[in-house]
Amino acid sequence: MSDDMPDFSNVKGGSSSAATKIHVVVSGDSLSKIARREYGSAKDWKRIFEANRDILKDPDKIYPGQQLKIPPKE
Amino acid sequence: MDTRIHCALLVSTALALAACGRKEEPAPAPAPAPAPSVEPAPTPAPAGIAVSSVTAGSAIGADKKVSVATDSFAPSDTMYVSIDTTGSGTAKLDAKWTYHKGGNVAVVEEDSMTIDTAGPATHEFHVSKPDGWPAGDYQVEVMLDGMPAGSKKLTVK
Repeated sequence: MSDDMPDFSNVKGGSSSAATKIHVVVSGDSLSKIARREYGSAKDWKRIFEANRDILKDPDKIYPGQQLKIPPKE
Repeated sequence: MDTRIHCALLVSTALALAACGRKEEPAPAPAPAPAPSVEPAPTPAPAGIAVSSVTAGSAIGADKKVSVATDSFAPSDTMYVSIDTTGSGTAKLDAKWTYHKGGNVAVVEEDSMTIDTAGPATHEFHVSKPDGWPAGDYQVEVMLDGMPAGSKKLTVK
């Protein structure tokens, strides 16, 4: 990049969908972190937990590589 | 011969002659067998997901569709790109935002999401810059499963 190009390091990006998104768990993830990123509030972790009860027994135990369904933001 | 016997003979003879002259009616055609109930083959679901449209704008609604469509933005605007898809299944959508000046290109932001949809759906990516966008030419490219699916040229004034 040329020196006279603007600095875009503080750009904030995001995405959302009217459909269910799939989040692949990475190291360091928690349902609260994912909820904050997807819904803007960590308190919404229960929505993700409920949508994934078929693969999650304990909301504190998620593993890298797991594919979690993220319901659309209401 | 008795007159009554004569009459009876005449009547029976006339009936016999009438019967002989009558043409045999063809047997009524059997009722057509009911057409076999053939259900139309179900229209096969589109294979996978396809992008049907890409729209840029400065605002979106709850349905993720752009509510204020524009390719020209103010420095304080959030830039949105809304993507309509058809089909069902799982697919990965990517958005790459770039800034163009002279012959140089700077990557502004890259984002991706994996979607799982049972039918047509709308998805969005957005970018914002707290201290305002530099004026100039931008572009957002949308990829579906790694393949180009659309792009929009944007301007900040």
